[in-house]
Amino acid sequence: MGELAVSNRVGDELVAIGLGSCIGLAMIDRDAGVAGLAHVVLPESQGKPGPAPKFADLAVPDMIGKMVAAGANKRRLEALMIGGARMFSVGASMDIGSRNADAVRSALRDAGISLKTEEVGGNRGRTARIIIGFDVSSQLAGGERTSLMSLTAGPGSVGRREAAKAV
Amino acid sequence: MTPRYTDMQLDALRELANIASGTAATSLSQLLGRDVDLNVPKAFSLPLADAVDATGDPEEIVTGVALALEGDIEGVVLLLVKSQGAATLCGLLGVEPNTEVGDSAMGEVGNILGAAYLMALSSMTGLSLLPSTPFVVTDMLGSIVASLLAETVGHGDTALVLDSELDITGEPCAISFLLLPNAGGVNDLLAPLGLSEATA
Repeated sequence: MGELAVSNRVGDELVAIGLGSCIGLAMIDRDAGVAGLAHVVLPESQGKPGPAPKFADLAVPDMIGKMVAAGANKRRLEALMIGGARMFSVGASMDIGSRNADAVRSALRDAGISLKTEEVGGNRGRTARIIIGFDVSSQLAGGERTSLMSLTAGPGSVGRREAAKAV
Repeated sequence: MTPRYTDMQLDALRELANIASGTAATSLSQLLGRDVDLNVPKAFSLPLADAVDATGDPEEIVTGVALALEGDIEGVVLLLVKSQGAATLCGLLGVEPNTEVGDSAMGEVGNILGAAYLMALSSMTGLSLLPSTPFVVTDMLGSIVASLLAETVGHGDTALVLDSELDITGEPCAISFLLLPNAGGVNDLLAPLGLSEATA
């Protein structure tokens, strides 16, 4: 929760397991082979301290900086978001999941980054997974993986290695 | 400022959890007509990034029964049961697991245990603690716990979790019983014990 991982090594796997109301925000530069995954917990930082990836408004600029540092070109960045469910139908108070999704959309729009795909809402948890050089996928609790974006543009090999976690 | 808790405060919270979950274990035993073992509760205060993993395998499918706390402190009481344990529990209660009736029975177990736990906590601290209607959900442990922590911890970055485990003797059924108070709620629990000062 509130963590971020970026990688440019083919075969690296970035995973956020068990996203409920949280959002797995993926950012990709397909040409440069750079990808990042942030585990966003809340929509706004409201000036409070804490790790930037925890809040949608801070996560997006923070992630862009780290993607560029890893060799991505900001103009080529594409985003996907996964999660934002409402786990408790008559929840304790508010629907954090949909507020998180709205905040991520708005932060991406402000940063000029195109949101290619979203797998959000509903009442089941998801796992977000990026395998560099292979794909970005979403997996519902107890379900199969659904591939959302292929990353096999280049002639990369498809090795699998557990290298980074963004749970 | 992020509240951190001293060893003495965590000991006191663990003792509160111990007594309260002992009361809950007694009601579970009466409900099922079985012996119930109680493990020594854990009290941990962790960065949000590590809190979910401390409660179990985030990917495991579990049934969670959540009761929002109403009254003098805010927070959530959460029961977590693995799928085999939920099937056992439903079997002992004579209902089918993962059906509407099964979920309703799980909610009722949550209600009874939650009420017993909170009543004990209430009598030790003098606080008024009432559980809301239970919500039952079967999903990944990570999705359930993280969604609740997002609400209880909110903009703070330290999660306090009181974790008790109840085992039904001779059955493959362990129930994790978690109290997730919000940041202000922890101080309210500690104040009646004269340990309210959160240290930096």
